[in-house]
Amino acid sequence: MKTLIMDSYYVAWRELKKYFRQKTRMIVTVIQPFLWLVLMGNAMSGLTNNPMAAQFLGTGNYLTFMTPGVVLMTIMFSSIFAGTTVVWDRRFGYLDKLLAAPIKRGAIPFGKMFAAAVQGLIQAIIIVIVALLFGVHFKTGLAGIIVILVIAMLLAFILSGFSLALSVKIKTIETLMAVINLFMMPLMFASNALFPINVMPKWLQIIAKLNPITYAIIPMRDLTVRGWTQHVWLYTIIILAIDIVAMMWTNWVFKNATSE
Amino acid sequence: MSEAIVVENLKKVYSNGVEAVRGINFSVRYGEIFGFLGPNGAGKSTTIKTVIGLLKPTEGNILLDGFDVCKSPYRARLAKGYASQETSVDDRLTAYENVYLQGKFFKMNDAEIKKRAKEVLEMFGLWERRNDLVETFSGGMMKRLDIAAALIHQPRILFLDEPTLGLDIQTRTAIWEYIRKFKENGMTIFLTTHYLEEADALCDRVAIIDHGKIMALDKPGTLKSQIGGDLITLTFAENSENTKDFLKVAKEKEGVKSVSKMENGIYSIMVERNGDKMIPELFSIASKLNVQIGSVRLKRPTLDDVYMKYTGKTIREAESSRDESRKARMMARRAKR
Repeated sequence: MKTLIMDSYYVAWRELKKYFRQKTRMIVTVIQPFLWLVLMGNAMSGLTNNPMAAQFLGTGNYLTFMTPGVVLMTIMFSSIFAGTTVVWDRRFGYLDKLLAAPIKRGAIPFGKMFAAAVQGLIQAIIIVIVALLFGVHFKTGLAGIIVILVIAMLLAFILSGFSLALSVKIKTIETLMAVINLFMMPLMFASNALFPINVMPKWLQIIAKLNPITYAIIPMRDLTVRGWTQHVWLYTIIILAIDIVAMMWTNWVFKNATSE
Repeated sequence: MSEAIVVENLKKVYSNGVEAVRGINFSVRYGEIFGFLGPNGAGKSTTIKTVIGLLKPTEGNILLDGFDVCKSPYRARLAKGYASQETSVDDRLTAYENVYLQGKFFKMNDAEIKKRAKEVLEMFGLWERRNDLVETFSGGMMKRLDIAAALIHQPRILFLDEPTLGLDIQTRTAIWEYIRKFKENGMTIFLTTHYLEEADALCDRVAIIDHGKIMALDKPGTLKSQIGGDLITLTFAENSENTKDFLKVAKEKEGVKSVSKMENGIYSIMVERNGDKMIPELFSIASKLNVQIGSVRLKRPTLDDVYMKYTGKTIREAESSRDESRKARMMARRAKR
């Protein structure tokens, strides 16, 4: 177990070293939440002028309703592409180098998932800071913000694991991108990241309830808008359970695909 | 135990039914440079990948430094270093970080890595550039770094898969020197190469694989001698007399297989072996018979001839397509930036 943790740490170390060297990517990471919050937040702010809508959203400030969704979407966009690193590693022979080294095979996906989770955490922190600057009030305070960040990391772990599991069988970046895009839009829109589930048609509500994104957004939104509801703990536990399943599944897929 | 690598009855059948390796046997002694040659699709890459544990054998046993690759993969992997054909360094990391990471994967502590990283990077002339990102390196520097990283944990067995593919002659020669140094230090080297002069110059023994089977395995000199004798071609000086007598005496000499006349006044003398030693003897006969030799040339069978005999093709045919794919990978690496 100790070996697996240490091996995963050095796989993650490599990914994070490269992440912090990508200046443009870091700048985009900061700019992106500004754009989401300013453009989308302002465009939709009129919605909460309607008392019915405000009651429906649980807050009179649409930006507050939207902030957890922005956190989630940013994490989704970054972590779902974690699989591209495996495609590149395979193409340049680095994957063979890792597989030929005396490291636990599971360390390769776990390290990359951990790196994606750290990247997600950094992005989530930036969004929260930007949101605070725009006057968003988090009902549960600092403790709630910390739980939101933890959930964000857990979600990044799931989505990057999904992406890595896809990437082990895919040989080119173009194909991986196409497959990821196929899943991206349904994942985003068939959840309550942007709009409450209650306003969706019935069939979409069913899909949204099966979507792990929904189980991340509900506690995040409750912590932002409503407070320490029972959903917070229940759905955080569900997300944690999905994380464990994602880890086991990714490990299994990875192990089988790389040991013909 | 004198064998660093033992491969017994190795078979590999892929899930799509392709039988890439069909029951091969070979062993590599400690301290030996062992060349593994074969055309594309012959089973060479599958064999290497199976020996180093990247693929599971369908049948057979593989021992690396005495450890079974399937039963004790961890110990077997620790014993070897591997530099793949693709130059698998991370170009977004510095040279030192690449070596450091490899050290960590081989369970070395920071102090050991620090000491060894200096040694290997100095050996390959990269110490001054240790803090530079690898993306600023030339192809030759990347290859040297790749081999340096493979040596960080002082492996007993080093696998070099096409270590000089696509490199300029200067870098290639430098890498040959490094390989000779490794051997002097007692390291066992398993080498695949497309350059037969490289195999000839470096390897103690070579194996030629084709259609998933070992077609030949021996010392390069022995394999070449099995192909045929040395060929001496000569011409006589103008107005030279007694040439017929000379050719008659030469034909009767021990070790001479045949004497024949070619075009443009050139004569060929085929000898069983040691053509270089035969030349002074021919001059001695010429002197006694007052024959003046105008020019003389010796041609010995090359490993290329051996390769041709066992695979039915020259290695250059395979080389051009391999270089194309390498160029495509390099373009992709640049496009990624």
